Amino acid sequence: MVARVATPEEQFVIPTGYGDDRIVAMVKDPWWIFAYWEIQAGTERAARSQLLPHEVAGLQSILRVYDVTGIDYPAQPAHASFDIGLSGLATNWHLHTATPGRSFIVELGLLTAQGRFLLLARSNRVTTPRFGPSDVIDEAWMIADEDFWKLVGEIGLGPGASGSASWSRLAAQSLSSVRSSGNLFIQNRTPAVRGFWCRVDTDLVIHGATEPRATVTVQGQPVAIRKDGTFSLRLALPDGTQSITVECSSPDGRQTRTVTPLISLAWPAPVTPSTAAPHSRP
Amino acid sequence: MTERAGFLALVLHTHLPFVRHPEHPHFLEERWLFEAITETYLPLLERFQRLANDGVPFRLTMSFTPTLLAMLSDGLLQTRYLHYLEQLSELSAKEIERTRWLPPFHRLALFYHHRFATARRLYVESFRRNLIQPFRELSDRGLLEPIASCATHGYLPLMEVQPVAVRAQIAVGVRAFEQAFGKGPVGFWLPECGYHPGHETFLKEFGIRYFLTDAHGILFGSPRPKYGVYAPAICPNGVAAFGRDLESSKSVWSAEEGYPGDDEYRDFYRDIGFDLDYDYVRPYLNGDGARLNTGIKYYRITGKTDDKQPYDPDRAFERAAQHAGNFLFNRERQVEHLRSIMDRAPLIVSPYDAELFGHWWFEGPDWLELLVRKIHVDQRTIELIAPSDYVQRYPTNQVLEPTMSSWGNGGYSDVWLSGANDWIYRHLHKMAERMTEQANAHPRPDPLRARILTQMAKELLLAQSSDWAFILKTQTHTAYAYRRLRDHLARFGALYDASRQGQADDAWLSEIEAKDNLFPFLDYRLYATS
Repeated sequence: MVARVATPEEQFVIPTGYGDDRIVAMVKDPWWIFAYWEIQAGTERAARSQLLPHEVAGLQSILRVYDVTGIDYPAQPAHASFDIGLSGLATNWHLHTATPGRSFIVELGLLTAQGRFLLLARSNRVTTPRFGPSDVIDEAWMIADEDFWKLVGEIGLGPGASGSASWSRLAAQSLSSVRSSGNLFIQNRTPAVRGFWCRVDTDLVIHGATEPRATVTVQGQPVAIRKDGTFSLRLALPDGTQSITVECSSPDGRQTRTVTPLISLAWPAPVTPSTAAPHSRP
Repeated sequence: MTERAGFLALVLHTHLPFVRHPEHPHFLEERWLFEAITETYLPLLERFQRLANDGVPFRLTMSFTPTLLAMLSDGLLQTRYLHYLEQLSELSAKEIERTRWLPPFHRLALFYHHRFATARRLYVESFRRNLIQPFRELSDRGLLEPIASCATHGYLPLMEVQPVAVRAQIAVGVRAFEQAFGKGPVGFWLPECGYHPGHETFLKEFGIRYFLTDAHGILFGSPRPKYGVYAPAICPNGVAAFGRDLESSKSVWSAEEGYPGDDEYRDFYRDIGFDLDYDYVRPYLNGDGARLNTGIKYYRITGKTDDKQPYDPDRAFERAAQHAGNFLFNRERQVEHLRSIMDRAPLIVSPYDAELFGHWWFEGPDWLELLVRKIHVDQRTIELIAPSDYVQRYPTNQVLEPTMSSWGNGGYSDVWLSGANDWIYRHLHKMAERMTEQANAHPRPDPLRARILTQMAKELLLAQSSDWAFILKTQTHTAYAYRRLRDHLARFGALYDASRQGQADDAWLSEIEAKDNLFPFLDYRLYATS
């Protein structure tokens, strides 16, 4: 007998990396990009071997983010760049690029205290979307500024002036307010009322037994009898007194037994929490 | 008929992720499909057919994702759906007995029992378990404009580094659509309205003439759009982009101001699966015995209170009629206002998730039917059309470049790229890269390798569903999303090794082929670049 071999799914551990030297950039929104990376130990060792002895102290892993809008980087120099210092364990970062409508390339590397940058990996180019209406006007499709803002105003973004801070804030609010989708089957319950709550309901179970082929009615309505002759009926119980007529008839219909229990349900105290709570403690 | 002052395009996006677990007799997440069939797809079909039979002209647009199409035509899930319906019917029958002394609830128990009987009759007798066919018939009659969507609802802007993966999501979506509807799609629903400049290239390649974006995708486009979102923007390659109108969206979507939050409407959260005695409902719960939503709900929203009042379907229907009238009134005023700014008839595009109607907003299908009837009878200002109809009336439209955008919270990719789910892209990107590597290496495979590579492509597509990232982001029910990502990663990895070695464990391969069995037409060479 051969022992059952674990399936690939059972054996699987999600890998931390794939043996690459790579950094990948992705656009999140007009102001943020995201980068993930992995660098092999050998690659980093090779880079470190270029260091001069005095450069070892104060060496830091960084991300260098270049604004390469309209530029063929690295053949041409970038417009600007900024650095983000990394802790040794980071393998991804959300980067605040802050400027919509620009193109970026991210480099991962080692920065010496003297300012020398040793490149480990360079990302793909990403472009953040423009935020706000374009200043480019097509002469064949001219529209008065005022009319354009009326159209935009329809969606609650306007009527602030283009480019102003208030306009941007309004627009950002609007983009977060009327959202939709995802998966409607995954929704969190938001309680209408916070704090302690309780609910008390009463169901009545009527059950009994007779001969399997007998007939049973409760208040004139037939009740199913199980093969062993037992039957049961669950009723939500309202306030007040109910008389419940249970009638059992023999299979040939000649004999009948009638039982009529009386059931009363009453709530002696008001059910409002403020009055009920102090008295309900034993 | 005189030309109307404006047009309205209602777009319903249907989607569910592929959830099918033959290895378990009952599976909680399969209920998403079952609930959507009972609460949304059947009620919508029933109403569309009623409108058609009553001679009420209408024109609606609906997108269908290939994962949903695959599940709707899957024999195992069809059988399981009927079992699910029988269980519900049995529970509602018990409820009729139990509520005998409580008239408002007794009436609702009868109401639900009747609904489940109707669902069964429609599903079995009218549609013979095949819900694609009636949608196709509505399409053939010109009442419905069906449009395609991505293979597994992959969120395309975050696949940008691998254009071949973007193209494959679109190609498989178009192919699945052709299978279901017997013709090519004219329109395309980008999942989550996720648009990245350049993706129109692939849409055009597969014969798509238009897609939908969120409002700011067009409004922030360049040059500045003369008509805002009230006429299509034509991408430089000729594919049209229709922007979402936020005013009409808000009245349906918004939790505060939207119609679905009305006090008269049914409360989604109060369900007998949670409210009644545990032993009584236990037979209708899943294997693990955790309480769940059965779909039998007795209360109306009532207000911001936990003291809910019994639901009254008649009063709710009246409210739905008022809301349909209000929606139409607002659109007429909106069209008149737009007409004062524009030198042509505006088009208002209102896209919604189809599952909002019925599943989430119980009265939504009634509202929709009443809206269609009112548009036909009560006014002459607007006409219901599909996006493609507008381009026929106004063939000349402004050329501009839309901007990256989505309809997710924040308007961009934040939902699918956050601290809770950003880790998945490292793996998804690697999978796509390896898929291309193997597709390039094996243009003419032997039968075994063809099986391996085809299954690899399926595992990749399934892992790319935007649903997993979304669920991880919501921080609820994350275990299932994590499990799915992990399983598809594991299967893909084992298949990748098998392909490189040219041999596979046949029993295991057959097993996962039977589990992840969608897209029988799939050709992995979609991923080849050489």
